[in-house]
Amino acid sequence: MHAVEFLSVSKAFRGKTALDQVTLSVGEGSFTVVCGPPKAGKSVLFRLLVGLEQTDGGQILLAGRDITHAPPSERNIGYVPQSFALYPHMSVYDNIAYPLNLSGAPREEIARKVDATAGMLSITHLMKKTPDQLSGGEKQRVAVARGLMKDAKVFVLDDPLVGLDYKLRERLMDELKQLCEELKTTFLYATSDSLEALTLAQSIVVLEKGRIVEHAPAIDLYLQPQHVRSLDIVGFPRANIVDVPTRSGTVSVAGFAFRLPQDVKAPAVILGIRPEHVTVGRTEGRSGRVAIVEHLGSEIVLYADCDGTQLTSAYPASNVTAPAIDSTVTVSLRPEDVMVFDRDTGRFLGRCTPAAQA
Amino acid sequence: MSETLRARLYHVVLWIVSLIFFSPVAWIILSSFKTRSDILATPPKLIFTPTLDNYVDLFVNNRGFLLQLGNSIILSVTAVVIAVFVSFLAAFCFSRFKPKGTDFLMFLLLSIRMLPGPAVILPVYLMYVAFGWKDNHLAMILFYAMFSIPFSVWILKGFLDGVSTRFDETGRVNGGSWLHIIFRVVLPQVKPGLIAAFIFNIIFVWNEFLFNFIIGGVSTQNIPYALAVGAYSDGGLNWTFISALTSIYILPPVLFIYFFQKYLLVGMTFGTVRGEV
Repeated sequence: MHAVEFLSVSKAFRGKTALDQVTLSVGEGSFTVVCGPPKAGKSVLFRLLVGLEQTDGGQILLAGRDITHAPPSERNIGYVPQSFALYPHMSVYDNIAYPLNLSGAPREEIARKVDATAGMLSITHLMKKTPDQLSGGEKQRVAVARGLMKDAKVFVLDDPLVGLDYKLRERLMDELKQLCEELKTTFLYATSDSLEALTLAQSIVVLEKGRIVEHAPAIDLYLQPQHVRSLDIVGFPRANIVDVPTRSGTVSVAGFAFRLPQDVKAPAVILGIRPEHVTVGRTEGRSGRVAIVEHLGSEIVLYADCDGTQLTSAYPASNVTAPAIDSTVTVSLRPEDVMVFDRDTGRFLGRCTPAAQA
Repeated sequence: MSETLRARLYHVVLWIVSLIFFSPVAWIILSSFKTRSDILATPPKLIFTPTLDNYVDLFVNNRGFLLQLGNSIILSVTAVVIAVFVSFLAAFCFSRFKPKGTDFLMFLLLSIRMLPGPAVILPVYLMYVAFGWKDNHLAMILFYAMFSIPFSVWILKGFLDGVSTRFDETGRVNGGSWLHIIFRVVLPQVKPGLIAAFIFNIIFVWNEFLFNFIIGGVSTQNIPYALAVGAYSDGGLNWTFISALTSIYILPPVLFIYFFQKYLLVGMTFGTVRGEV
């Protein structure tokens, strides 16, 4: 049985569509990340699930039970909102214990659970403080602890790490992952950061403009996206996406010629290439002029103009000096790394093959 | 001019202005310890033998005083507590559910306060007489509460708008009822607003004379009523009575404002500047 199911769920605000016929099934015990650009509808999807908004159409099932019109209190879902929403008039302990206090749990049980969760998130020393005495990261951990307090089957975390500094985010991501494994419950997590999505997710749902673009296991979605928007949204640096005309079963991009998959007959297609598949510095290839170089420490991201097309390349920085701007580099592409997408539907059509084999 | 000198100069000016404003209050308090001839002496006597006769006169010989003091306290505190409670619920509704025409309704509410008292006194008087509510404590409390509600709603709405709805949502998701959210989640966060609304309104009701005089009566008379009626009772201005009564009369609001002045400042900004209170 699925832990959560959305069946043709729609929602509009003042005539503006936020979610359009969303159908999504989330497996029990999975860590599913809903990834999409801001305003894609991620928060709306989660707010519908926890009961803070009402659907305009469709059904929401929780472990097979229809909860579409059930009040939030009857849904028993752990929720960490995007803003911390820690009660300023309560201590950290009372904030974390809040869901259990509300449910009328015995005091000893509350103390035991709060201690255990606080220990897990390393916030035991903060218990007597009030939220205004905490740093951003500490507030976030307290909010997460409160969200996890409930004895819920599903936990919903709405972009809980947004705005935190990178180091802290990285640490909290590890903690969350560990927590998911320990609790063995279903996690739904929203983010617009694809690195966060890839780090945490077992499966990723790509959401854009209120529609689900793709739902697949994280690594499959990265390696073989079935939609050009998935390729664009999930991955850093951004993938190279080029709109090109076809000519009798072949395409050329940045001076390279490739053969299209056999059944592609469209007059134009979209080509997608991950930056790590754009190799720089080999002896064979096309020459390109370096436009921008970003040295990220462990990685170099390079933007090169090749035959009128700008290609992004990402490669490990070890033992390599970054080329200077305006210098000429040799860029090479393997045909099997070039993904072909339908220009109208955005669907994946196949991968290129070498033009010479034709 | 150096910074310290300028700061000192500011302080001197502030002290002088404050003393000028405080001098009538000081005069009335000093007068309450003077005999009638000392009060009326020319030039005014700054050195005199203090006497408690005026207070003894007020508490022992003036039979109406304790009733008037009790009425002032009961009418103002009860009416304002009711008003703040009702206003808090109304402001919560305006702030959270935003019924259609909220802005217009808020304007209408405030416009009640723009109406001068004498403009409504006649219809209110006729209504109270018709209902048989004249000289009735409960009726007076209801009237003062009614008069205090619009301004309180205004103050409290500002404060409630400043409390994120995310707090409400966290409460709802965790199984809290609306009553729980209103009183356990939101109310503690608008305490400064509640106190500010309470102070503003209690000052109004505490000082209210006109309606007490017209729709009140013998059993509901408050201190402003006593002051207005008693000031001339002796044939001329009864300064010993006025000074003693006024000194007692200003004490509760002064103490109140002294201890809660930070809330008063917050209230004046309608919750837009919340600060550390």
